[in-house]
Amino acid sequence: MKTMTHFAFFDEGSKKEIRRATLKAVAIPGYQVPFASREMPIARGWGTGGLQLTLSLIGKTDIVKVIDQGADESVNAVSIKKLVQQTTNVALTENTEAASLIQSRHRIPEVPLTKEQILVLQVPTPEPLRQVEASEYITKRLHAEDEYSGVWLLLFEQIMKYGKTATGADHPVYVNGRYVMAPSPIPRFDNQKLHYSEALILLGAGREKKIYAVPPYTDVNSLAFEDYPFTVESFADHTCYLCGADDVFLDELIDETSGKSYYQCNDTSYCVDRLNSLKEKEAAPTHA
Amino acid sequence: MAIDQVHDLQQVYRKILYSMSRPGDISILREQAEQVDYQLPCYDATLLSAMALLDGEVSFHLISEKQQQVGGKISEYTLAKQAPADKADYIIVLQDATELSILQAIYQCKIGDLIDPQNSSTWIIETPKLSNTAELKLMGPGIKNEVKLFTGIYTKAWQARKERINEYPLGIDLIITDAQAHIVCIPRTTTVEITGVE
Ligand SMILES: [Zn+2]
Repeated sequence: MKTMTHFAFFDEGSKKEIRRATLKAVAIPGYQVPFASREMPIARGWGTGGLQLTLSLIGKTDIVKVIDQGADESVNAVSIKKLVQQTTNVALTENTEAASLIQSRHRIPEVPLTKEQILVLQVPTPEPLRQVEASEYITKRLHAEDEYSGVWLLLFEQIMKYGKTATGADHPVYVNGRYVMAPSPIPRFDNQKLHYSEALILLGAGREKKIYAVPPYTDVNSLAFEDYPFTVESFADHTCYLCGADDVFLDELIDETSGKSYYQCNDTSYCVDRLNSLKEKEAAPTHA
Repeated sequence: MAIDQVHDLQQVYRKILYSMSRPGDISILREQAEQVDYQLPCYDATLLSAMALLDGEVSFHLISEKQQQVGGKISEYTLAKQAPADKADYIIVLQDATELSILQAIYQCKIGDLIDPQNSSTWIIETPKLSNTAELKLMGPGIKNEVKLFTGIYTKAWQARKERINEYPLGIDLIITDAQAHIVCIPRTTTVEITGVE
């Protein structure tokens, strides 16, 4: 058995390399900075890019939250938390507001993030032009030349075919008016949270060895046409059946006996917080 | 006490990252600076920034009258090799550097290319005192509206920087350190307007 001697798993040289790439990513918003992605003791495709960022950032006083598709308790989130905690002994939390570092897959929390927080998003496919062009050599040149007609054409074809852009999640964005960026498979509902965010947002792709960033107060616009403006997922008149929230991203669930659908907050810690504060309000003495 | 290569440098990195994400926002490295027990004629914040970012994988170019004395020590502490200004990944400018030597290096240093804009130099540059008073007005990503900054760095250097960041995404990123262990960062995305001292 090899014993773990390094704080935060990595030796200092590995951390420095990731840190240098991260600073470049912040200085060139939306540009994918290559880095020497390391082998991690969790399966690739399970957030190794995000995990490497988290480990390069983390210090003894950090409080870490890990979420997977809105849930803190998924297998993926739990295995990442375990590795982070075993190698750093930092405090973990499910409370979004209490966290200084938040690693997430497929969602940006509903609670607005602050300047004291860093959000790390796990990215499976960092290249927004990959559907247009298979060659990395060429996509790098397309970004260099600010040549994005391919991705516009793709969106246009979707509108012709479906009457709307058919990107479920990972709808491409323009960052600081220069780079087209894959925001990771977050719902379109979350794209707006990237724009002028208070928190620094870092994105890491382990398999493709890329780090990129959206600094705070940075223009992030979802690609759209004037006749077909960008729209987010609509939940019409539905509300969360647990906490009643009507302005968040909801999951549709089917009642097995009645076959009817009902809705629930996708961000489970947000839902629990709301439930707790509703309970407190009910429990508080009322004065006539 | 000596600098803790793991925990102190992690804190230094986080502060650099914070300030790089928020150009003009001054971070303080005081706690880490107290651990510095090297006797070098450079600011603690300069040494800490270099130690946080440099290692054997990168090179640096030092601009100072005490180039030999300090350059060798930084190399020894970080394992980074010294390189000419046009090759170096980091340009470290000490307080005693002349205006001419700074300008020369700004025009010579790496700014990346369109394919790999990250292959550019990062500057760690000393100035006696940083504050959020007028002299410069900063705007761009990471800044809510605008922010005032006083650096005392040569006006011509800002003009030269402007020329080198003209073809964004090409450019240079600055980490400015002062004698009180403050740091402030100005990435290539920041528009710097010289407004003059209030
Ligand atoms: Zn709810």
